[in-house]
Amino acid sequence: MTDIPGHLPHRHPFLLVDRILAREPGVRVVAEKLVTAGATPLPGRPVVPDTLLLEMLAQTAGFLEADTLHGRAMFLAGIQDARFEAPVLPGDRLRLEVAPEGAFGGLMKVRGTVTCEGREICGASLMVKRP
Amino acid sequence: MSDLKLRVKEMIIDRLKLEGMTPDQIEDGAPLFGEGLGLDSIDALELVLGIEQVFGVKIEDEASGTKAFRSVEALTAFIAEHRKA
Repeated sequence: MTDIPGHLPHRHPFLLVDRILAREPGVRVVAEKLVTAGATPLPGRPVVPDTLLLEMLAQTAGFLEADTLHGRAMFLAGIQDARFEAPVLPGDRLRLEVAPEGAFGGLMKVRGTVTCEGREICGASLMVKRP
Repeated sequence: MSDLKLRVKEMIIDRLKLEGMTPDQIEDGAPLFGEGLGLDSIDALELVLGIEQVFGVKIEDEASGTKAFRSVEALTAFIAEHRKA
């Protein structure tokens, strides 16, 4: 089982990956995030903000790197072609999947999707500065 | 303008979403990065992916990139040299 806090420097409430389901560094990562009622930040609106879905994908992309990111942070440098298809609510089990499209000059472009029970919730390309 | 150079310019405009720009407005010899078109490192990655997708040519490392991205002229020559006949 992948040691998530051992790999990512993020901590509660901003650690947004619960479990790694499949991981091939440099090739693909599939992770899982369970949404709970206490963890949605907007008062009176129990939805996960779309920006946090992108952050979930970015954190998942951190597991494409073979080594821990402690002391060698990755940075989100750009977002392209982001689509948000449906709201994410408490109780949702999110599947986060990322795969690199290419890399050059210390930057990597990653295609990511968030699905819930087989339905696509969000898709986006992220540009990340590699450690 | 050669066909390949025109296609390179069209790829740059399309891939980098330089809306409103036409191939004629990109000078053949002007630097792509810094002065000239003023592209940055994110644009460089986007171009590397575009060149591979459109022309089937890989830019493997930064040394090749530095050579290829000197200008449209240099990039066209790099693609002509490396693409499969």
